[in-house]
This record gives sequence, structure tokens and C-alpha cells, in this order.
Amino acid sequence: MALTLTCPICGKRNGYEFRYGGEDKGPRPDENGLTPEDWCNYVHMNKCTAGVQKEWWFHRDGCGSWFSTYRDTIHNLEVDKPEDHQ
Amino acid sequence: MMFFKPKPLWGKQTRLKSNYDAVIIGGGLHALATAYYLARDHGLTNVAVIEKHYIGFGGAGRNTAIVRANQRTQYNVPFYKEALDLWPVLTKELNFNLMFNNCGNLNLMHSEAAMKAARMTIATAQFHGVESHLIDAKEAKEMVPALNISKDITFPIHGAMYHPPGGIVRHDAVVWGLAKGCARHGVEIHQQTEATAIHTQGSKVTGVSTSRGSIHTPRVLVSAGGYSAGIIYQMLGIKLPISVLTIQAMVTQPLKPLLNHVVSSGAYHCYANQTLKGEIATGAHMDPWPNYTTQNTAHYIKHQAESLSDWLPCLRGVRFMRIWGGLADMTPDMAPILDGNDPLDGFYMDCGWGYFGFKSCTAAGKYMAEYMATENCPGMLKPFNLRRYQNHQLMGETAALVSYTPDN
Repeated sequence: MALTLTCPICGKRNGYEFRYGGEDKGPRPDENGLTPEDWCNYVHMNKCTAGVQKEWWFHRDGCGSWFSTYRDTIHNLEVDKPEDHQ
Repeated sequence: MMFFKPKPLWGKQTRLKSNYDAVIIGGGLHALATAYYLARDHGLTNVAVIEKHYIGFGGAGRNTAIVRANQRTQYNVPFYKEALDLWPVLTKELNFNLMFNNCGNLNLMHSEAAMKAARMTIATAQFHGVESHLIDAKEAKEMVPALNISKDITFPIHGAMYHPPGGIVRHDAVVWGLAKGCARHGVEIHQQTEATAIHTQGSKVTGVSTSRGSIHTPRVLVSAGGYSAGIIYQMLGIKLPISVLTIQAMVTQPLKPLLNHVVSSGAYHCYANQTLKGEIATGAHMDPWPNYTTQNTAHYIKHQAESLSDWLPCLRGVRFMRIWGGLADMTPDMAPILDGNDPLDGFYMDCGWGYFGFKSCTAAGKYMAEYMATENCPGMLKPFNLRRYQNHQLMGETAALVSYTPDN
């Protein structure tokens, strides 16, 4: 099944128009008192969820928006926000 | 014999016990190799290999079977050299034909920048006693007459890196041979047994829950290929610098012999070899987003046909016969994570191999077994610790030739 993603400006588009931007890890950590461990967590570390995860996307071949959405990594399909996610 | 009960190739199926000296989660090549060396070299025979599906279900049977030792850095090359040198040794020792076809690897270069990068990679290989040479386009054409060295293709060929010690190993044979070797030394292999939790007390591993009951054990290795990172986060809350992507591969219909080497091209994102059956086995594109589908996409089948028929024009019109996908657990520095007793005593991990899991399994098994048996990290594995990421000591493997395109 081919991936489609819903851009907040352009709507539902072919997945190949987008660049994956990584797992959503919350806001960038404050640089005051930032430890190498915290920075490494933010930059490199992933949960590698087999299931639904919140993630960043960039509409590279479109309007240039950065946005986050939910995708099921087992079926590679965009899904609605699950109830148990904050 | 209509109602015979199938018996595993490697021996009699035993019941899962409640106590083992070591439990290995995953039944692929790294897991089987580690169990084999634990029993053979370290006398640890009370070992269970726990596999959710069947042994060889994952990357072990989905890779394109290429082996080589011409990586980029001084840490990786000796490791892969040892892994490569072990194929003929294991063939004898396991008394099982692993069908090592020592045909050599030809890595095509498509720009002067790539040729320069190849010179550096070759210098590293030669320094570590690994045979590797730079050849020009004409020499490459002499070796592979089907090669298109015309200047009129998308990425004209400038030359190649020729690595004679590499080649192809029959990956299923390695699974079966290691499984028999494990069983001969008393290791238990439990298929259709899913690990569901790793138990700890304080900072020590105490056991594993499985779909067939609980096990007490002081040592657990997670070596489940592309599934490792997800398992480790889910069971222990340890995050890893890994992204799991489907990587696609395919074979053509069988043809008369035309390719006597493994030929690969970073710029075309394409590699090919001819199997002993005559099929052209080729890959591989990685999906541009993480996923666990292991499915092929029309997008990349088309790409594969286009690029393959560009540099091997005699394949135009040939059909793909089978397609499949596997998982690659990629790290930011293209090098694996082999670590243990940090942050939990008795917890070991062997993951992050990306698309290098097959060619490394023999040496990884040997050294992970030493690590688990002695509790001391062997020198060979020290650079591959997890803490290198927070210490900003990422390895230089990303400078490998696959990154060099005509744009460099």
C-alpha cells in the first residue's frame, strides 16, 4: 500500500513528496545545563515503535511545511491520533 | 507416511526449561553464532535460543548473501576480515557446506571524487592485510564484459574497487549449519517462542518471560536483527540510535552465466550477483522512512530495473521472478552496537548492523560469546559501545563509498 500524508496546507499527498523528519521527541532541550547524555537522547535516540508513532515530516516537493503526524509503522499508513497519546 | 511429525533438521525438540545460564532473544545468524561459540569455546551449554517465528525468518534469510571486508575504518576492517576468514573454517567445523563462492567484489566508481575515496578505502584495507585494488574502467570491462563503460549513461563508470577475498555465501546453509552445531553442543533452540519481557532486580538481569513460560537466567542477549531496537525499548526502556527501515531485493529469471563477480554501485544504489542457479540477485533500496512492512514497492522495482539495465544493458527485457524485503536497523555512523553490562548487569545487545548483519555474523558471534562468558568486553568490540554517541565518538563508516555519487 502506498503511503499518503496529510500536509496541513496541501492536504493528502503522495508520500514520496515528503521527507521523513524523525520521531517526535518533544521540544528541543534548553541549552542551559544541557548534558551530553540529554543532547544525545534528543539527537540520536529512538523508540523504534512497531505500531503507531508521532513523527515529523517535511513537504519537500510541495509547500515546504514541517508538520507532525501519526503513522502506523507496521502497515506504513498515516492514522488518526490514537486516544492514548498525549 | 502421511501423518509423520516433522523433526527439526538439527535434532530433537526439547521442552523449554525454567533455568538457563544464558538466554538469547532472536533466532537469526548472530544469535545462533553466539550460542554456538558460547557452547564450543566457553563451555556454556545450558543456553536457550528463543525465536518468535522460525530460525532464519528475519534478516538471516532476506539478505543478498554478499560477504566482504573492505569497509572504511580501522575498527571495522579487522572485524569484517575475521568474519570473512571464518567462512571456510566454519564450513569444515560444522561439517555443512556453506557454499562460499569466493568470486570477489567489484565496487563501481562514477566520479573522480569516488575514485579518490576508493584509494583511501583501499589503503585502509591493504594496511590491515585485506586484498583490495583500484582498477580503471577498461580493466573492469575485461573482468565483466557485460558492463557498460560508455560515457553515455546516467553515471559513467570511472573505475572500480576490486576486492578478491569477498563473494557470496549461501545464507540458509549458515542458519542450518549453525543450528546443527548448536544442537551438537547441547544448546536448545526454541522456535515459535516469543520473548515478552526481560526481568531485572536492582541493576541485574534475572530472567525472561516468554509465550511458553518464564525462565530464570543471569544473562540475556538481544540479538533479534531489525527487531532488536524495538524490543530493547519496549522491554527495558533503553533507547538506541537506530532507525528501522525496510530494504528491498529481487531476483531475475535464471540466465546463462554472465556475471562472475559481485558488482555494486553506490551512485546507482544497486548491486548484483549471479546465483549458482543463474538468477541475477539484486538490491537494494532502503525505504525513505522507517517501517516494519518488509514489503516491496513499485517505486523501487522500477528503479532497480532502470539502474540495472543502465550499467548491465544485456539485462533489458529480463523479468524479475521473485521480490522480497527485510529490515535494516541503521545507526547514524553505519557501525553496529555491541555492548553489555551497561546499564544492566547481564544484559547484552548485538544490533544496529544496518545492512551488514550477514557478513559480520561469524565474528560477532565469536566475540559476543567471549563477552558474555567472561563478562569482559573483548578488545575487538570496545569501539562499538553505545556510549560513543553521547561522547561524540561516532565512527567514520559513513564516509564509505556508497555515499559517493557524481555530485561529490
